[in-house]
Amino acid sequence: MRTLRPFLLPALVAIGSLLVVSMAAAGTPADDSAGPSRVFEVSQATPTPEVPLETAPPLPTPIAHRGDATSTGCVDCHAKVDARQAGIADEWQASIHAREGVGCADCHGGDPTSDEITVGMAQAGGFQGVPDREDTVGLCGGCHASAERMRPYQVATDQYSKYFSSVHGQRLLVAKDDRVAICTDCHGSHGVKPASDPTAAVYPLNVPGLCASCHADASKMQPYGIPTDQFDLYELSIHGVQLLEEQDLRAPTCASCHGSHAAKPPRSDEVVDVCGSCHTATQALYEESAHSRLEGVGPKCWTCHGTHDVSEPNESLFLHEGGVPDYLCATCHSPTDQSLRLEMDRFEDPADRRCDTCHHTRSLIYSQVEAIAGAVGGARDAYDTALLRIDDAAALGMIVADADVAAQEAMTELIKARAAVHTTKLTTISALTDATVVKAGEAEALANAKLADSDFRRQAMVVVIALIALNVLVLISLRRRLHAQG
Amino acid sequence: MTTDVGRSEAPGGAVGWVETRLHLGPFLNALLHVPIPRNAKTFYLGGITLFLFGIQVVTGTLLALYYSPTPDAAYESVLSITSDVSFGWLIRSVHHWAANLMILFLALHVLRIFVQAAYKYPRELTWLVGGGLLLITIGFGFTGYLLPWDQRAYWATVVGTEIAGGVPVIGPALLLLLRGGAEVSEATLGRFFGIHVLVLPLLLAGLLGLHLLFVHQQGLANPKYPEPRPGRPAPARPPERLKPFFPDYILDEVIAWYAVLAALVILASLFPAGLEPKADPLVTPEHIKPEWYFLAVYQLLKVVPETVGVVAPVALVLVIVVLPLFDRGEEVLPRRRPIAIACAVLLLVALAVLTFYGAQV
Repeated sequence: MRTLRPFLLPALVAIGSLLVVSMAAAGTPADDSAGPSRVFEVSQATPTPEVPLETAPPLPTPIAHRGDATSTGCVDCHAKVDARQAGIADEWQASIHAREGVGCADCHGGDPTSDEITVGMAQAGGFQGVPDREDTVGLCGGCHASAERMRPYQVATDQYSKYFSSVHGQRLLVAKDDRVAICTDCHGSHGVKPASDPTAAVYPLNVPGLCASCHADASKMQPYGIPTDQFDLYELSIHGVQLLEEQDLRAPTCASCHGSHAAKPPRSDEVVDVCGSCHTATQALYEESAHSRLEGVGPKCWTCHGTHDVSEPNESLFLHEGGVPDYLCATCHSPTDQSLRLEMDRFEDPADRRCDTCHHTRSLIYSQVEAIAGAVGGARDAYDTALLRIDDAAALGMIVADADVAAQEAMTELIKARAAVHTTKLTTISALTDATVVKAGEAEALANAKLADSDFRRQAMVVVIALIALNVLVLISLRRRLHAQG
Repeated sequence: MTTDVGRSEAPGGAVGWVETRLHLGPFLNALLHVPIPRNAKTFYLGGITLFLFGIQVVTGTLLALYYSPTPDAAYESVLSITSDVSFGWLIRSVHHWAANLMILFLALHVLRIFVQAAYKYPRELTWLVGGGLLLITIGFGFTGYLLPWDQRAYWATVVGTEIAGGVPVIGPALLLLLRGGAEVSEATLGRFFGIHVLVLPLLLAGLLGLHLLFVHQQGLANPKYPEPRPGRPAPARPPERLKPFFPDYILDEVIAWYAVLAALVILASLFPAGLEPKADPLVTPEHIKPEWYFLAVYQLLKVVPETVGVVAPVALVLVIVVLPLFDRGEEVLPRRRPIAIACAVLLLVALAVLTFYGAQV
């Protein structure tokens, strides 16, 4: 046996394929009840039929797990063979498998109790050597898909079936393409660590880098014709900054949207649910909207926010700055039948992610967008003004705790108003922006009171200093008189 | 010199009414009518420190009327004093600035005494008691800093008490004694408040009385000539020119107090005492800094081993306090005490450099 390959922990496989594919819009005819100036038919094009998945192959019979310490006996000899094998032994010693008593023979077969190479590594005795990439998934699944074996560890057992539903697994299965990610590419082979271990490659903070190790590699992606800039975009996105810079584990990794073992890009009809798994309240608001009623062809989260390059949303998403955009019919409509088609790749350029990219200036909806943008912008201006006054007061050393509380309340209303934009309902949004303006006004009034108080203090200070100076003058004159008297 | 007290021999009105009953005239006469060397240069530093202590007593008493020394209520009570109570901001800001100025003027006072060699015979005990007053004043700063119970107060106390815990041998016991438990908690706040408003004021008042009594008995030192020592022939010197303590010196002192009062009003009005977010033992601020007078020790701890960083300042204070016991030379003029002055300059430069670097983020 040349290598010591430990039993592989979960058949956890490739995480977060960052494949970006064009979405097949499953359109359903719908009216825009908000009343566009011209109602277009939505696309009736038949969506690209889903190719039925090849089902996962049957699980191979796992190598007999001896369940005692003897399965680790190989290390005694192999750690002394050379530096490479000693390194493998060290890697395994630090792994979750070593901790749970899963040893070399559990993956490689053979007889770990014998110190004779002709016995311990005899093929007749079940020695299998290094499994090839195609067999590795089954080898891991042999144990990790077994509820009976995984019961003591409370580990999920669906990774094997999920893997073969992924883009990675399907290519391995159907195209016999063994360049795709398999279990060991993400989890390692000998040094398997649980995903909760911060040093594991599959620890959430490390996941984007792990996926990028293949998906940002142009030579690896070239055969598949998929882009390699996802990590660069993600790294600068609000999600990437939050995860990679702020180390905020609540932020999504690649796997959060694409799945890990079942890695595949979300479809157009899935994306609202995918984003909504975190942005729950926003999803509920979106589902009240005219956009949502357009179902398959309507704008989705990514139409306005992008995919890997999601940035912090602000009022600039409403309208193009500096005038009317160049309207291209094909951005929103099918060139053939003019039906509505909002496909993701048409909004790859962040500059196009604006309401007026679709809603023409002469449309009724455009004026509604203007009203919404004005209400939200006005609320933000009121909040910003209050903050400026508060900063002015704080800079003068005034305690502004009460004004801060009022400003926070205004911000809460503003956040709600911004989220309510997803409803596309002006009345709903206006109610919240009005509440923002009221709260911001209260905060500003409190800050102005502090500023007035600070002015009073300064004026009173001048009076007190003048009185002190007068007293000092009297004392100096008394002193002179004393000196004059000798 | 004619005096008010002299006139009180035939008093009238309220003063006479009191005098005929208490006969305070001779006592006040002895207290006030002492001659002092005309060339004594005190720069009024000790008097100003005394004045600032008086300010602290008055403002501290007013603050105590509204302050609640429990973690649940301390922060809110300070916020209320600053925001709601009429002129509460002024009282608190004056208390804050007077505390800082008190440390500053006390340090300048010590420096003046050192440069003029006023700690030498016969004033060794006055210096020793003064050392106690210095330590008590620093104790006031340390205990008072925690009372607002905001983030800065809480974490500076965590660090400060940890430094005390680094004292060899007695460190752990000292840490426990200061905190009243393993962590800075309600017990710490309670004892810091008690020490700040009861123990230290009584100690300071007692030592201050002693200090003033010694000064009164010994008079002010002449910065040009050493005090004649018993059993030795008095060195030849021109006859000492004197001036009355009252009203001449007192008048100048009061003018200096007015100047300090004006400085306090300006500081309190333009830079009122602030308040950070409420103390949160679970959120450590990014930068924790002690007050400026602890910055040198804070910086020293960063560059030397902890034991050295803790022991060195304590040893330095002890050396300064017992200075008169080993610096027994008769010379008082700085130019004739080059070693002592060089040591002081070196120490001041070291403190300034450490404070400067300690103040950097």
